[in-house]
Amino acid sequence: MTEAVVDVRELRKTFRVTEREEGLAATLRSFVKRRRKDVNAVAGITFRIDPGEIVGFLGPNGAGKTTTLKMLSGLLYPSAGDAKVLGYVPWRRENAYLGLMTLLMGNRTQLVWDIPAADSFRVLQEIYRIPEDRFRAAVNELTELLELQELVHKPVRNLSLGERMKVEFAAGLIHSPSVAFLDEPTIGLDISMQVRIRRFVAEYNRRTGATILLTSHYMDDVVALCKRVIVIHRGRLLYDGPLADLAERMAPYKIITATLHDGAAPSTDLDSYGTVVSRDEGRVMLRVDRQVAPERTARLVNDLGDRLADISVEDPPIEEVIDRVFTSEQATVSA
Amino acid sequence: MIRTYRALLVAQLQAASQYRVQVLLWMLFSVIRPVIFLAAWVAVANAQGGQIGTYDVRDFAAYYICLSLVSCLTASWNAYEFEYEVRFGRLSPKLLRPLHPIHYAVVENLVAKLTQIVPLSIVLVFISITFDARFRTTPAHVLLFVPSVMLAAALSFLSGWVLATTAFWTTRVHSVSTFWDRAAFIFAGQIAPLALLPGPLQAISLALPFGYVLGVPAEILRGGVSPSTALLLMAGQAIWLAIFFVAFQRVWRAGVRQYSGVGA
Repeated sequence: MTEAVVDVRELRKTFRVTEREEGLAATLRSFVKRRRKDVNAVAGITFRIDPGEIVGFLGPNGAGKTTTLKMLSGLLYPSAGDAKVLGYVPWRRENAYLGLMTLLMGNRTQLVWDIPAADSFRVLQEIYRIPEDRFRAAVNELTELLELQELVHKPVRNLSLGERMKVEFAAGLIHSPSVAFLDEPTIGLDISMQVRIRRFVAEYNRRTGATILLTSHYMDDVVALCKRVIVIHRGRLLYDGPLADLAERMAPYKIITATLHDGAAPSTDLDSYGTVVSRDEGRVMLRVDRQVAPERTARLVNDLGDRLADISVEDPPIEEVIDRVFTSEQATVSA
Repeated sequence: MIRTYRALLVAQLQAASQYRVQVLLWMLFSVIRPVIFLAAWVAVANAQGGQIGTYDVRDFAAYYICLSLVSCLTASWNAYEFEYEVRFGRLSPKLLRPLHPIHYAVVENLVAKLTQIVPLSIVLVFISITFDARFRTTPAHVLLFVPSVMLAAALSFLSGWVLATTAFWTTRVHSVSTFWDRAAFIFAGQIAPLALLPGPLQAISLALPFGYVLGVPAEILRGGVSPSTALLLMAGQAIWLAIFFVAFQRVWRAGVRQYSGVGA
């Protein structure tokens, strides 16, 4: 077994928050006595990530994703449990560790607003003590991959959100970290910029062999980049395994899409094959149990005969699977 | 570290160059208050036959000119910016780089002073001529002033950081630093030269850190104290600097832990 780059055991984080009811009386009471409540943001999760993996970290808002990333990057002290990244305990924030990793948050900026990014890069070069030749190579590579030529010489405050994000990526990766934690890297970006950032992350991983843990609300990010996903909900790990198996484990059904030559007239009785999900312009989508999918498909082909123009059997869309996981209370599966 | 400082300095100078008007306004701000007090003391001294204690009108002029210069060279405003950085999470990226966040503030502070010192000197020469200031400065005073103002700047900066670090626990750093500024107003030698404060107030001001930031280096530069007294006062500066250095290290460590504890 190879040495894990990220090794997390029973990691927990409990925040103590103050609670107050609305209204004057409650407000006045809160001057004297505050009611505090413990919130388990991360309630004991265990996983490991091998060198060079890109892992998607999924969960709804408040699931504990960002809290976990902050603990792994060293910003937060855990309440309990252990974690090692590249052999370091992150929250000790040793300079040796900080020089080997990066945390990029899509909604945060780390560049100086009033100066061009190229000048911020120079500052980072000195902070990370990057030798000149390596610095130049890194800048050239990032400039090429992210198409930064025009952007690095403008003051950061004059850049658009998408442009700024690209420059933030460059700044976060200029020291060629071995581990990158990406928190919502494409948030707020338009589709084409999202695609570019995705391509970049994949290419960066391929070229440098960096290990990447990424959270995103856009399933397209995850589908494009991650073979493996870790799903957490309410601070607990629900699933850790191949993205391809997620649907099989979490959604015990398949979607059969049948296209009919003569249109799917409402009179055509398809309910006996499965649950009709949608029906339009000659296309019918049916939801059927995973186990009976082959048999139902065969029956459909047989029964519809020449009326059938096309038929396909697929896993439900990944968004639907994820949504199902988060809305079903009993779902507690781990690979 | 020198290379890091140079890179930070270049970046910060560029950022500052975008705010030239602001730099000038801040510079004027550091002059206005001493000039108001100067005008008031000149009026009082004239009403009392031209002399108060050991100060005549020309001495007051020299004192407040020195005070303006010292006030510019020792200014520290980090408490305000730090609160913002903590509250909006801008400290986080700095904590994740292999460089202590204080270094960014040191450079920012130096750059502001570098950009203000030239225009300020011109204004001060003008005031000096207008009020016919009398300096009792000897070469020994100038030699002592240099380390003294450096100690004062370091003291002001570090005490400012200790105050700023309270932002880790409360989002109301303003009230803490306002209290600090009010105390400084009385005990630092702004309202009057320390030598003119009534006995008990003078004793208190020499026991507190404020005077060591402003009044002490200003008096040394004016030549208002003998070189031996100056050395004694500088020892006081060094003691307060050591106290704040230890305080800073402890408060910072606890503060970062607190920041990390509540949600960075």
